[in-house]
Amino acid sequence: MSNGWISFRRDGFTLETDWNIEPGQVLVLFGPSGAGKTTTLRAIAGLERPQYGHVEIGGRIVFDSASRIFVPPHQRRVGYLTQQTHLFPHLNVVQNIAYSLPSTQRKVADPRVADLISSFRLTGLESRRVWELSGGERQRVGLARALAADPKLLLLDEPFASLDSELRRALRRELRSMLVETPIPVLLVTHDREEALALGDDAQVLDSGKVTDRGVPLNVLGQPGQGEVARLVGVENLLKLTVTARYPIDGTMVCEGNGIRLEVPLRDNPRAEEQPLDAPELVTVGVRSSDIILASREPEASSARNRFQGKVMSVELRPPGYEVTLDCGTELRCHITARALAEMNIVPGQTLWAIFKASSCFLVSDYKSNSEK
Amino acid sequence: MVKIPALGALGTASTVMCVLFVGLPVAALCIRAVQEERLLASLTNEAAMTALRLSLGTSIAAMVIILVVGTPFAYVLARGKSSLLRTLDGLVELPLVLPPVVAGIAMLMAFGRGGILGPALEAAGISIVSTSLAVVFAQLFVAAPFYIRSAKLGFQSVLLDYEEISQTLGVSPWRTFFRLTLPLAGPSIITGIALAWARALSEFGATMMFAGNMMGRTQTMPLAIMTAMETDLAVALALSTLLLLVSVGILAGLTIASRRVWQSRW
Repeated sequence: MSNGWISFRRDGFTLETDWNIEPGQVLVLFGPSGAGKTTTLRAIAGLERPQYGHVEIGGRIVFDSASRIFVPPHQRRVGYLTQQTHLFPHLNVVQNIAYSLPSTQRKVADPRVADLISSFRLTGLESRRVWELSGGERQRVGLARALAADPKLLLLDEPFASLDSELRRALRRELRSMLVETPIPVLLVTHDREEALALGDDAQVLDSGKVTDRGVPLNVLGQPGQGEVARLVGVENLLKLTVTARYPIDGTMVCEGNGIRLEVPLRDNPRAEEQPLDAPELVTVGVRSSDIILASREPEASSARNRFQGKVMSVELRPPGYEVTLDCGTELRCHITARALAEMNIVPGQTLWAIFKASSCFLVSDYKSNSEK
Repeated sequence: MVKIPALGALGTASTVMCVLFVGLPVAALCIRAVQEERLLASLTNEAAMTALRLSLGTSIAAMVIILVVGTPFAYVLARGKSSLLRTLDGLVELPLVLPPVVAGIAMLMAFGRGGILGPALEAAGISIVSTSLAVVFAQLFVAAPFYIRSAKLGFQSVLLDYEEISQTLGVSPWRTFFRLTLPLAGPSIITGIALAWARALSEFGATMMFAGNMMGRTQTMPLAIMTAMETDLAVALALSTLLLLVSVGILAGLTIASRRVWQSRW
């Protein structure tokens, strides 16, 4: 297992984080670029030296600022894999994988090397030069190379970010099955929500050097707890509204503000505790842009509870598809495919209807907007 | 392969001019040497062999020192970030622009009998001037920058990320240097060796000034050629051809070696 905490200061940037990972468990570190994710990994690997902290890997203290312990990287027994992989260009596949082994073991015939080659499906590529490998093969060699050194902690810094989604899924499965065979703790940095959900046993959201949320990935990333997190994981529409009516039989409630009236699922307001009882109840409602349907006329009969007429403000390319921003009193961002855009001939200035179900809305606690008041 | 329009007629003309300008004198030297009846006798005579032995011996000694001392220094220059190192980086190239004769006088002022270190060296019983050691000193002074410069660029081309990854794999910084950094910088290192060695072999001005021109002790090939020119053109031609062959041989050998570096097993 690995646990610890670090406090790192450089050029006015402060990073404070802590972790506790059991063998075979994956802790996902999630956050925008510049949040301090990579620095955290580098500090654990010993490539950076934090001012304060305590780092344990496999039950061994490798860094402790109070007792001035600093174990150099080559004695920490961590595996470190980045997006760029950095396979050694002067060595072939086997030589890369066996790099950490004693010279007598650096050959294909060695059982450990042979085992890694077969379990990472690299058979037949043994004497390939690293620039002859595909992206996926490179990452598999990188993983095998890291594991050959028998690490007590695996640090993965967006290892699959440069690969296409199909390859990414395949590599995730391999990583998962590897963790069953060799249960070591893993700290995974990622931007990718799907990856975080697929691999993470635990998740931590890091923002501007601070841990802003932590817990089970689905709770942290699936039902965003904070405005910042919500935007990070792709909730494009965050509406600040006031609750005006509740319909317990339908399981919905009505929220109004900025000229729109929204039906949302009846839920406990995560912000209720912070507000006085007699004041109007404020909520932040999140709607994903891909959950909104655009129509050129108001649908005559529809079960969708939320319908708004608005003017198209902008159409932007946002692969896969386009993001259309609609002014319905408040701005609504809707994600549609290129074909839908072409068929409906959507141009700025045009009037459209935005339609979405009450169940597409969810309540979001937003401490940032609270602290502003 | 796609044919690239290489500047048209201008490209062709300047290529021909460059080849002729360098090739013609070299060819002329070889042709004149071959026409010489006493060539073989001049090549194998004692004076020529002595000069060749001294040239090879001193330049190899200089190269060993340059490699042992220059390589770590080049690495420090490549990786260091301090402003002091950046200043040093500029100063390393000073001998490249300094006329060798000036370098010779400068070394006399430092290590000569009347130089700054002269009394101290004399007290210790060490005499440098007019010995083969002075020849090595002169070669070190003028040749080292060629190697250090090239090796530094080679080390800079090795990403720090590679060294970091190597260390996380449990390989110590020291062993990382030999197993990773040095092989990756190999082609530049070998280029540096070739340049520095060629410069050491051809060293004339500083050697003349600092070491003198004594057969068997300080008279290297270039000095022997100069001395022969005054009396016997045939000997000078023979020695020149010999030096040319040795230089080309070293260059060819190192070029082959640099190709091998990338195919090496660790």
